[in-house]
Parts: sequence; C-alpha cells; structure tokens
Amino acid sequence: MSYHCPVCHKVSDGAKDLARHMMGQTDKVHKDWINSKGLSFSQLLIMQATSFGDKGYDTLAELLEKETKVED
Amino acid sequence: MTEYSIIGKPTRNVDGPEKVTGRAQYTFDMTLPGMLYAKILRSFYPHAKILNIDTSQAEKLPGVKGVITGKDTLGINFGVWRRFPELKDEQPLAIDKVRYIGDPVAAVAATDEYIAEEALDLIEVEYEPLPAVFDPLEAMQDDAPLVHDSVENNISVTRHIEWGDVDEAFKNADYIREDRYTVPPQSHTPLEVHNTLASFDNSSGRLTVWTSTQTPYYVQLMLADTLEMREGNIRIIKPHVGGGFGGKIGIFTNDYVAARLSMKTGRPVKLVYSREEEFTCTWRRTPMYYNVKMGAKKDGTIVAKEVKVITDGGAYHGLGATTLYLTGFFSAFPYKIPNYRFDGYRVYTNKSIAASMRGFGGPQAVFTGEQSLDMIAHDLGIDPIEIRRRNAMTPHYVVPGQATIESCGLLECLDEIEKSIKKRGKLPKDRGIGIAAYGYMSGGIFNWIDTPYAFSSAMIRISVDGMVDLYTQAAEIGQGSNTTLAMICAEELGVHLEDIRVHSGDTGTSSSDLGAWGSRTTLMMGNAVKMAAADAKRQLFEFAAARLAPNIVYNLDARDRRIFNKIRPERSVSYYDVVKDAIRGKEGQVIIGRGHYTPHEKGMISPAYSFGVQSAEVEVDRETGKAKIIKVTTVHDCGQVINPLGLRGQLEGSIMMAAGYGFTEDMPTDEGKVLNPSLADYKLLRYIDMPDTEVLGINTYEPEGPFGAKEAGEGLTCPTAGALGNAIYNAVGIRMKDAPLTPERILKALKEKEKSEK
Repeated sequence: MSYHCPVCHKVSDGAKDLARHMMGQTDKVHKDWINSKGLSFSQLLIMQATSFGDKGYDTLAELLEKETKVED
Repeated sequence: MTEYSIIGKPTRNVDGPEKVTGRAQYTFDMTLPGMLYAKILRSFYPHAKILNIDTSQAEKLPGVKGVITGKDTLGINFGVWRRFPELKDEQPLAIDKVRYIGDPVAAVAATDEYIAEEALDLIEVEYEPLPAVFDPLEAMQDDAPLVHDSVENNISVTRHIEWGDVDEAFKNADYIREDRYTVPPQSHTPLEVHNTLASFDNSSGRLTVWTSTQTPYYVQLMLADTLEMREGNIRIIKPHVGGGFGGKIGIFTNDYVAARLSMKTGRPVKLVYSREEEFTCTWRRTPMYYNVKMGAKKDGTIVAKEVKVITDGGAYHGLGATTLYLTGFFSAFPYKIPNYRFDGYRVYTNKSIAASMRGFGGPQAVFTGEQSLDMIAHDLGIDPIEIRRRNAMTPHYVVPGQATIESCGLLECLDEIEKSIKKRGKLPKDRGIGIAAYGYMSGGIFNWIDTPYAFSSAMIRISVDGMVDLYTQAAEIGQGSNTTLAMICAEELGVHLEDIRVHSGDTGTSSSDLGAWGSRTTLMMGNAVKMAAADAKRQLFEFAAARLAPNIVYNLDARDRRIFNKIRPERSVSYYDVVKDAIRGKEGQVIIGRGHYTPHEKGMISPAYSFGVQSAEVEVDRETGKAKIIKVTTVHDCGQVINPLGLRGQLEGSIMMAAGYGFTEDMPTDEGKVLNPSLADYKLLRYIDMPDTEVLGINTYEPEGPFGAKEAGEGLTCPTAGALGNAIYNAVGIRMKDAPLTPERILKALKEKEKSEK
C-alpha cells in the first residue's frame, strides 16, 4: 500500500506521512489542492504548529486515505 | 588514565604572545597598495519593492572608483546550501525587493571611507513600501504579507523527528504537563566585526580574499559559485579572528561586495562593518516559540515528550534550517525518552536573519526542557537530581534512528553536582540553586555544501632541523584550536610543543576542512592531525629501526624528542638524528604526513557527544527584581581533556555568553528596527558580572575522539539559562518561561504571585 501525492507524485508509506509532506511543501500548488478539498491549509498548519497532537496532519490524512491510496 | 607528555597538561595558547603584544594581524589591520574602501547602502524599509536605483551622482563624486547594485551581480543567490539549492534564498545585493531593514542594496568603493559614506548618500533608490510582518505567528496567517512570494504562509522550512508512539504513551502516563516558552534572539557580538579585504589580479584572473571567517573552505566555494569563478582561482586566507560564535559561517555581503568591487576596479578593496551593522545586518540566535509536553510515570521515568517549535526566521534562511532540526534533536537530550515527537516550523519575517549561534538550537532546547523536567520533579515530589538520574543517557545508548552514544559520563556528572550543592549548605532567604543537564554534539556529521558527509584533512611536513609544519584549514577563531591541534600533533609525534608550527585557515596552502562550527575541530580535525602525525612518524620509524634494530617496527615509540624501543626503553635515539637520516637517506625526499577523518556509520548528527550538568546559585532582590548569580558550578564530560587551561577559558566564556542569554541579552524591535544596536544599549554581561565559577571534569574516554577527546565549550552554552530559571524558582517560587529573565519580568512575576496568594 502506498500513497501518492496528487500534486508532485511523491510516494509515501502512510497517509500521515503524505499529509506531512504536502503541508511541508508550502508552495501554492500543494496549498491550492488542499484548499480545493474544502480544508483550509492555513488553519491546518496553525493547528498543527501550535497545539499538541497531530490534529492538523490527522485531518488531512483522513482525506488522503480516501483519495491517494494506491494498492501496490 | 594514560599518562601523556603533552596532552592533559595546562598549556598557554601558541598564538598568545602575538595577541597580547598586539602583533597579531587581523583583517582589519591589513592594507595593500592602492587599496580602496567600501561601504554598503542598505534598505531602511523592512519590506519594499525596488523600483529604480540611480547611482550616477555617486559615480561622479571624486574619489569614487566603483559602484555596484544588484544588477551588477550575476543574480546567483548565496548560502551554504549547495546541496539543497531550494534553501538558497538570499541575493548578495537585493535586485527586486528588500526584506528587512538593513538588506543590502548597493555598494561603493572609494579612496577613503568618508568619501564612500558620502557617495552612499548620493545613490537614489526608489522604493515602493510593502506591508511587513514581524511576528511568526502573524506571518503564518493567510492574510499576512508574503516575505518571499513563492512561499505560502511564510513557512520557509518544516522539520520532523519522531520515534515510538507518543500518543499511546501519553494515554498511559501517570502524569502529564504542557508548558509554553519563548526564547529570545541573541547577538554574537564578536569583538571583531565582519570585515573583508579582497584583491583581484586582472592578469591572472585570481582572487585573494582575507576575511574574518569560521569557514575558509565555504567562503572559497561560495564565492566561486556567486562570481562564477573556478574554485582554484580563489584563495581565502583567514587571519586572526576576533570571535565568530556561529555568526561567520559561509559568505556574507562583505565578502561578496569586496570581491566584486575589486574585480570591477582592479584594486584591492576593504570593507569593514560598523558595530551597528554588526547588530542589525548579521545573523542572530534564533528566537522561538517553544511548546513542550512531557509525560512521566509516578516514579519520574519519562514516557513521552512532544515538542512544537515555531521560529522567527527573519528574511532569509542563513543556517536557520539546521538550527530548527538541531533544537528538535537536542530536545531529546540528555535523557532516554522512549517516545518522542518534534515538529518545527521556521517562519519568514521582515527582520534580520535568525540562524546559528554557539549551541546551535541547544540552549533553547535546554532552557525549556530542563525547566519542564524540574516542574515534573516538583509536582511528583522527586528530587531534581534524582529524576535526572532515573532518565539519564548512559554509554552505548541508542537514540532511535538518530544517534549512538558511546562515551557518556552524565551519571557521574550528576553525582558530582549533588556533592557540590550539598557543600553550599543552607542558603539565605531568596537564594536558590537550580540545575540543568545537557548533551551536545562533537562535530556535525552533516555537510551542506558538497558531500553528504563531513570531513577534515591535515598535512604535516618535517624539515631537516626537526621543525614540524602543521597545515590545516581548521579555523582558529579564538577558541584555542591551533593550540589543541599542535598539542595533538606533538603528542603523537613524540616531540615538544615548540617544535610545531601551525598554519591554519588558508585554502592556498592547506587541504580542505569544513571549518569551525558544531564543535567539530577537536574531534574531527584532531583525528586528521593525529593520523597525519602518525603517518610521518611511521616514515621516521623506518630509519629509527635501522639504528635501534627492534624485533619489529611496532615496538618503537616516540616521546620527548626520543624514539625508543618500548621493550627496552633505555635504547633510544634522538628524534633530530632520525629526521636527518630520513631526509638525507632518501635523496632529500621531504617527510610529509597526511591525515583525514570522516565519521563512519555514526548516525545522522555526530560521531560523539559531550555531556554535563551545571548548577547556578542565584539571589533575587524582591524590591528590584534583579537576580544576581552568586556561583556557577559545572561538571562536564568532554572525554580526555587536551588542554585544561584552554578548556577553562572556553567554559568560563560559555558561562558568560549563556548567562547573558538567560538574563540580559535581547534584541527588541519596533516595526523591524532593532532598538539597541550598540554596545552601550545591548546588555552584555561584563567581567565585573562574572560569578564565582567552579569547573570539575569527569574522566571518560571517547573511542571516536583523538586520545579519547570530545568537544568542550559549545555544549556548555546550553544549560545556563535553564539552570538560572530553575534557580529563580527555588529562590522565590516563580517560574520564568520567557527569556531573558530580566528584572522587569521577575518583578512582574513576583507581584502576580503575591496577588494570587492573597
């Protein structure tokens, strides 16, 4: 099972890893993709950076689990 | 413990006499025939577009020989990140936009400094001011102005470190606490400001640069990149340097501008920063918002730690990405933490660059982590030393996925600090002792510039009279590395210190080394020097064997200018005689020893780690909030001490720098303008503020280090602020989570405590 970034096609082992990658790019295309899915990149980022736990990444990972999983 | 003839003996600095007599030459002292003087025009806006620059009036001023702007550069960004070009975000001179007050815009070379200054006033720059942002939390918001247009939400770098299952571990913890801290910027404040003398020879196309740097090799490579020159056509010479402390790694505008103007004018060009430029336009220690969550069992065993850090990165990267990673790494030190998670975010703001400074993210990690641990100890009713004992790293501990700790004397350090605290007895009112423990790298394994691994190399040459010339690009910047390396060389070769002549910091004569940063010189260059000396010694032994006829050449050893048979030490021969044999016996072939070092399979960060514990005794004046440091005791583990005298100097200097970080130093800004850019207003501790200090060492042996040595001096900038914070709590019962711990903050906290107790 692997997860492919819908923007740059980087392959991650898990949805949370992919979430971390996408939010870590901080370029417009990654941000726009996240925002296009009804999430707010900025709010996820600030939530992730300022509160304990992985709420930001977990929220995005939930979406990525459905949309980017590829059976190997 | 092995008895050495030179190692471990208190030794005065080999360059001490020339420094104290004023004969030492710094870049500032140097002049060349026909030399011009350069000055830089800088932005007074924190954020603005550059619409136009008119230098015509400046160029007409008599005495002005050259003017450059961003258009005269090749538009190549600089930064140490040759291997990671996406992190090279800084132009030598701004071309389209300025991003902080002080961002360089143009430069002038003239026949004297006054004319150069006057010419700056004649350069007309048309700006379009842009909204600016100064706080990282504001800069992350959607509506914040973008410092770099392609970087959304101003997040320049993110870093993540994780092992175990933190969330599960917190669920099973008996006790959890969360704390939020802020840690300030700090200026390196070297006695010698950034300055450079560059001389370009038009006929040969070769550039020679004398500069105050920690990294001659990086300067060579980075100038080659930004000037599109062959590396071998650039020679970097590091004269004596009056301090770097992490603020002189790589090239800076002074290096580029001096070189570029020399190329343009065909004359040598010297550029010296003012003290105000040093405060406002060079790197600073990275300020951070630091959130720490720790979980423990009832007995104080740490089960999990989570750290979230947001750094105020300033306008460009510098080395800020590494600081971010290392603060996360050192937040897991010096304890065995089975479950750990770190998320770090470096945020652009319209202020000067926040990057590396002595400790490289460690002081921030220890200020916060050690106070959190003390609070856990207090809440669980456990002695602060005991809680550290229960969690301390021990030899051969593996930090999952990151590092292997070989030598570690942390437990012994705790024992000794406990004894020293007990000796102080019952303290007077409003006086308290606090402790903090640390672990620190002895050289970074990482390399940003050309290879994925760090390396050092050294060469020695033995002349016919037995004099040993040691060539190394290691950078002596006042930390005593020339002396340390000379001692290692002399010990290995079996000669006296006065037989060694050190030539350091010249890319034209020495083999490559990455320079003085991350506490790498003693271990990494020390190993290279030891290897070079051993190589030369083997060549001498070939001839000594002919005289001494040992059973096997390995029976020979050298000490005190004699080469002798270890089995029958009374049989010996003079080192000088063997040298003559070796040179004359081989048709005049010179004796050269070569050495190198690179860590093999030592994890991601460092081949070895120093450890230590510091206690600070503080007395608080409840009327003024002023806290006075009465005594600082440091117990450290740096493996085999090479030079106890040098070590003491390093440790005392660390204490001063770190105490300033904890108590007085800050760089407040107003709309991006630094408010205290002078030695009068920036509150350094002075020699009269120096407390009584005691330094104790723990004997360990680091197998990776030369003669078992590890770093000393940088790691010790880590614990002081944390020890002071804990001491203030123990003195007057207030917990200070925002550094520096100024009298105003202490007074405010005391009043709030008084109010809450009523």
